[in-house]
Parts: sequence; structure tokens; C-alpha cells
Amino acid sequence: MISTGEPAVKLSRVAKRYADITAVDYIDLDVKHGEILGLLGPNGSGKSTTLKMILGLVKPDSGSVNVLGINAEEDPVAVKKQVGYVPESPRLYEFLTGLEYLDFIGDIYGIEVSEKKKRIEEYLEALELEGREGDMISSYSQGMKQKIALISAFLHKPKLLLLDEPLNGLDPRSARIVKDLLRELKPQGVTTIMSTHILEIAQAMCDRIAIMYEGRLLALGNMKELRQKARLPGSDLEDIFLKLTGTEDIREVVEALLK
Amino acid sequence: MNWKNVLRLISVDIKAGRLIRGQRLRRYREQKIFQYLEYGGACILGLAIGIGAGSFYAAVADPQLKTLFYQGARSLFLSLPSLALIFSLVFTMMGQIQRMGVRSSLQPPYWLPITWEEHTLASTLANLIGVPLAFLILLSLAIATVSIYLGQMPLAALTIFALMASAFLASTTTEIFRILQVRLIGAVYKSTGKAAVWVRFVGSMLFFVVFYVVWFAFSSGMGSVALIEAVAGAQKAVWFVPYVWLGMVLAAFMSGLLAHTVIFSLASLLFILTLFYVAVRLNARFGLYELPAITVSRGVYVPKVGFLGKLGFSSLESAVMRKDFRAFTRRRELMYVFIMPVVFILMPLMQYLGIYGRPVEPEPSRFLFAWILLVPGAIMAVMLGLMIIGEEGGSVWLFFSSPITARSLVKCKYAFVIILSFVAMLVCGAIGILVAHPSPDIAIALLIESILLILALGAVSLGAGIKGADFTEAPRPRMVRPLTAFVYTLLCLVLALAIFSPLLLHAVTMGYMPVPVPLPKIDLYVAVSISAVVALVITFVFYRIALKNAEEFLLKAEM
Repeated sequence: MISTGEPAVKLSRVAKRYADITAVDYIDLDVKHGEILGLLGPNGSGKSTTLKMILGLVKPDSGSVNVLGINAEEDPVAVKKQVGYVPESPRLYEFLTGLEYLDFIGDIYGIEVSEKKKRIEEYLEALELEGREGDMISSYSQGMKQKIALISAFLHKPKLLLLDEPLNGLDPRSARIVKDLLRELKPQGVTTIMSTHILEIAQAMCDRIAIMYEGRLLALGNMKELRQKARLPGSDLEDIFLKLTGTEDIREVVEALLK
Repeated sequence: MNWKNVLRLISVDIKAGRLIRGQRLRRYREQKIFQYLEYGGACILGLAIGIGAGSFYAAVADPQLKTLFYQGARSLFLSLPSLALIFSLVFTMMGQIQRMGVRSSLQPPYWLPITWEEHTLASTLANLIGVPLAFLILLSLAIATVSIYLGQMPLAALTIFALMASAFLASTTTEIFRILQVRLIGAVYKSTGKAAVWVRFVGSMLFFVVFYVVWFAFSSGMGSVALIEAVAGAQKAVWFVPYVWLGMVLAAFMSGLLAHTVIFSLASLLFILTLFYVAVRLNARFGLYELPAITVSRGVYVPKVGFLGKLGFSSLESAVMRKDFRAFTRRRELMYVFIMPVVFILMPLMQYLGIYGRPVEPEPSRFLFAWILLVPGAIMAVMLGLMIIGEEGGSVWLFFSSPITARSLVKCKYAFVIILSFVAMLVCGAIGILVAHPSPDIAIALLIESILLILALGAVSLGAGIKGADFTEAPRPRMVRPLTAFVYTLLCLVLALAIFSPLLLHAVTMGYMPVPVPLPKIDLYVAVSISAVVALVITFVFYRIALKNAEEFLLKAEM
């Protein structure tokens, strides 16, 4: 049951700890339908854990996660049916061919046979995997595996895309296709939450950007709002990011390394 | 050669065991005591054996018995290099087989300033770490200690040296085999095209079967004294084979032939160095060889409309079952599931046909048929059930992120375990009927019994496989926690006895098995019916447990 009046994703006071490490520290986050939200933050800031909690892969210690009007803890299967997910380092079944893997994914999401065939062929052609689809995935390059993982996430036409470093290892043409595809899906109401370290991509693609640091949500907003928050008018996302995360001491670090 | 680099590489290999031992990875602290426990145990046991045997020799008053013991010990020393060679070869090969198919964490660090000589030496020595090294320590200490009582210390020193050299020789041979098989497989893939998957499956099966049959025939076909005598005798007959030269060194030394001792020692050294050189050259040539892609399908994509769908499985369940079938026929580390039933048929058959040198039995026994029909299918159900979840490895994230319910997961995994075990049972049953010609009554009863065992044990082991799933993949896939596997294998054994006990009772009361007092006869079909009730209750209870475990597994989907 999806209520369109509510945000597509709503995190309320969500926290997660691993032993003595705080991965996510009581964050609140609303993501609108059809929005592309970028999750930025240094390594270990809690981005991947946040994505996993939205999908129900990680159970929060406290707070609630509501996805497309469904409580992720109460009905995780209903949430998973609506979501396309690409993890940071997707491990695929390397003993299957690319085609067999996508066929498997199509069946997992119950896509009708003729529709599955049509979509798989379209994606294979678009991402230039034609000719290699019959080879075992173990022989694929990292970029080719990433393409297969991305197609798997798009194949069942999900309403929410959770993408952890989605453009990792992609060639420029394929990266452009994925970026354009995400933009084209926006008007259809498809929400995207993506984590990335490539700030230029986040700045160019995302409607809003959430900056995380040590599990906390430091800032959330569009570029204008982030500039205001950082008090850096006219600056780019890199300067804002470094200032907000308190990691702008780059020059001293480089000088120390060169000694 | 930079020896420090060799030691550093070996240390990396030892540390790879951390993943296998399943220690917590965050803020990792090594438990040194556990790391060296097996070697410490080997030291204590070796000393105890040496002191025990030596004290026995010292205490014996009868000169004839003393001479016999002395000759026996010398004979044992003589055969030890060849025995150590065979033992080390089997264990290092087994180690390689388990690592095959897994993207090893210990790839050659070719981008670092490390030479192929250093890498090959480290790899060869690292192959011996674990059971082979503990075994060598045990033997060496036992030999050294007992030699003090026998007054044979120079011979003991030479034997220990020959033992170490034999182990190194075996490990170098395994290293060469490892490199060659990768290159050979590459050539096979290229030449066989689409059939490569099946060529690899059949080839691996044949290799495993021959390997296990030879090993079992060697280790269980004769007693230990006969084995030592056979090895000592065979060594002399094939003195021209370089692998027995280390044994020949000892034989020459014992006979006081100094020139022969020196010649065979130098020849052995030269042979080991040559093999090591070959391993280094092969590593330099093929160490970074990438296997060519296996192309399984070409041409137009036609999605399969499943036969499984007609049997009542949803598209999701059918997809998981098809994927599992491909995993078990394409992943070499999973193929041993098919080998165990084959070995379990071959062993009694070889014994029955007199291949181990024992006399051929005049009439095939009922028990031979019962064994062939009951054991392989049941073993396959237990093995498959325990590993069917853990075999997902790192790809398990897909299960956690896809809309699969606990009910679907248990249904498709259980069905897969049962179907494959049924196939094994039917093939074994057909062979059993051809060999043993059982009566129709016995054949039908045992067939039903086998089905019941598979159903019940499949459910028990699946529940355990979900609860104790272990997704560690490097340096070898664990699939199930060892303690869970041990406890549930024992439980399966007890439950199998409980299911089979009515038939055993029938066999006893019918006089197939000797009993001191006559008992009232139990009809075969009454026994089978009681057995069926027991099996179905076990299946129902453990299927429910598997469902509960699957619910927890999917809820606690933390990776």
C-alpha cells in the first residue's frame, strides 16, 4: 500500500551502532517522490549503512524507517519488491553468464516472460554488453560487472533506487547513459538515493545533497542552501564539503607528506 | 633470494586462516595459543610415542622379540620418506582442490618487488602448513626419541632429513600440478567452446573419483604393517623413479653402502632443485595466466518457461533452483557433493569385486544392496542441506535485498536437496539391483526407506544449514560452521538409526542377523510403516524449524 501524500523515504531518529562504533547517529531524513538525493561523506561516515537500513538489510537500533508508505521493519518483502539496489561492491554469481544472471533477477521479481526478454535485450544493447552476455561473469571486468548490477536494479522498474557508488568502474558512455536514465526516471516518480565520492556528479545530478560525517547528518539541501550553511557563496561542492566536514586542512597535510 | 620476503609471504598465508577460523574481524587479536595448538599437540604426542616405544624396547627381555622390534623400526624408518611423500601429496593436493574455483586472497603480489623464486618457495612451504607440518613434527620427534633407545641416532637424523625433503618434494609437485592444471583448463575451455562447462564437470568428477579411490584403496585396503612392508619392498623395485630416491638413501645407509648413500643423496637433491626450478619457470610463465571466458550460450535469448513451474514452484523459487543447479555443476568446490555418493558405492563394490586383493565373495549380500541404496542418497541429503545456504557466499546480499520470503526460501532449497538426493538414490539403486539382485520385497522396502531417510535428513540438515550458514569464501569456502556441521551430522546419524530401527528389528526377527534368543517375527511392511511414521514426524518437525530459522535469517540480514 503506497500513500503518495507521504515522502518516498522517511527516516525518523534512526541510529545504528556496531559494538563501540556509531555508524548512524539519530538522523532524520525525508526524501520526496521523484527526487534524486545524493549522500556524501568521508569513508566510514554511515552512507552505506543508511542505504542498507532503508532497504531493511540492516535493522536500526532505534527509530523508524518508512519506505513508500511501508514500514521497512514490518513488511520488508513489500519494500524490497519496490526497490532496486546496487551495493558498493556487488558480488554477483560468477558461475552464471550475464544473461543467465539477468534472467534469474527477472524471475526473482516475477517479471512476465516477454517483458523480461524485451527489457534485458534493451539494457544489454544500451550498455554495450551484447556479444559478451553468454560468457560467465567470472570473466567480466569490474565495469562490466557493475553494468550487470545496475541492469539488475533497473530491470523490474522499481519506484525507489538505492545506489551505492553506482558509477564505479563505468566507462564514460555507460556512465552518461546511467545518469541520463536517472534523470528521465524522475518525472515518472522514481526516487533515487545515491551515495558517491565524486562531488561533480552529485552537484550535477542531485536535487538535494545530504552530507554525513561520523554518522551524523551535517547538512541537507540544494546547492544554494548548502552554500548558505557553509557561508561560502559562489563556491563549489568540494569547498562546501571540506568546510562542513572540517577536513579543509588539505594544504598542511600535503606539505607534511612532501617533507 | 630474499629470505625475509619468503617468510613474509608465508606469514600472509598463515594469517589467511583467520578468515577460516571465523574470528571477529574488527579489532582483531590473534589467539597464539590456538594458532600453534596443533603443533604443540604434535610435539607432545611425538615425544610420548617415542618414549613409549623406546621404553617398551628397553623393557623387553626376550632377545628374539627385541630383534624383531629393532628390525621393524628400521623397516619403518626405511618406508617413512615414501609414506611422508604420499601423505603430503594427498594433503597438499586436497588443500589446492578446496581452493580451486575460489578467487584466492593470496594472488601473487606481482606488482611488489618479489621474485618468482621467492613466491614459489613461499607457496611451496605454505602448502605444508597445518596437518602435514604437524604430522612431520610428530614423526620427527617420535623417531628422534626412539632412536636414543635403539642407539640409531645417525640413522634417525638422516630419516628426519629425508622426511622433510619428501614433504618439500610433494609440495613442489603439487605446486607444479596447480600451475599446469590452470593452464590445461584454459586450453580445454578454448578448444571445447560451449561444452567447456560439462567437460569441466565430468573432468573434475573423474579426477576426484580416481583420487579418492586410490587414496581409500591405499589407506584402507591393507594393514599398517603390510603397508610399511609393501612400501619398503616397492621402493627397491622401482629404484630408478626419482620420487623413491630419498628412501633409497636410507636403504643404502642401513646397508653400509656409503658411496650409494652419497650418490642417492646428491641425486635426490638435484631432483628436488630441478622440480623447484620447473615450478619457478612455470609460475613465471603462467602464474598470472587468466582463464579464458567460458561462453555458455550464443545466439538469440529465449527465456525458459519452466518445467518447475508446472510442479507448483513460483518463478522466484524456480529461478533459485535453476541457479543452484548451475552452481553445483559449475563451481568445482561444490562438485564434491556428487563425488561422495560415487565413492560410497565404489568402496563396497571394489571390496566385493576383490579389487583390494581380498577374495571375491561367492554371493552378493543383502547388506551390500542396503548400503548402496540407503547411504549415498542420505549422505547427499545431509551434505547438501548443510551447505545449501552457505554456498551463496558473498552473493547472499541478493537474497537479503530481493523479495524472497522464508517460506519460498525453505521450499526451493529443500526441494533442490531432495531432488538431487533422489537422483543419486535412483542411480545407486539401479547399480545395486544389477549387482546384488535383491528380491522385489527387499528392493521396494529399501527404496521406500531411502526416500524416507532423504526426506527427514534433508529437513534436519537444511534447518542446520540455515542456522549455521557461514559465508566466508577465502581462502576456501566454509559454507557451514564446523561445530554446527559436526553436531547436526551426529544428530542425523541418530535420527537415521531411529528411522531405520523398525527394519533392523525386522532383519533380526527374520534371522538375517544372529540373535541368541528367537524373537516373534515382524512383518516387513509393518516395519516400513512404523519407519514411515517416525520419518514423517521428524520431517514435519524439522521443516518447521527450518522455516523459523529462515525467518530469523532473513530478518537479521546483516552483512
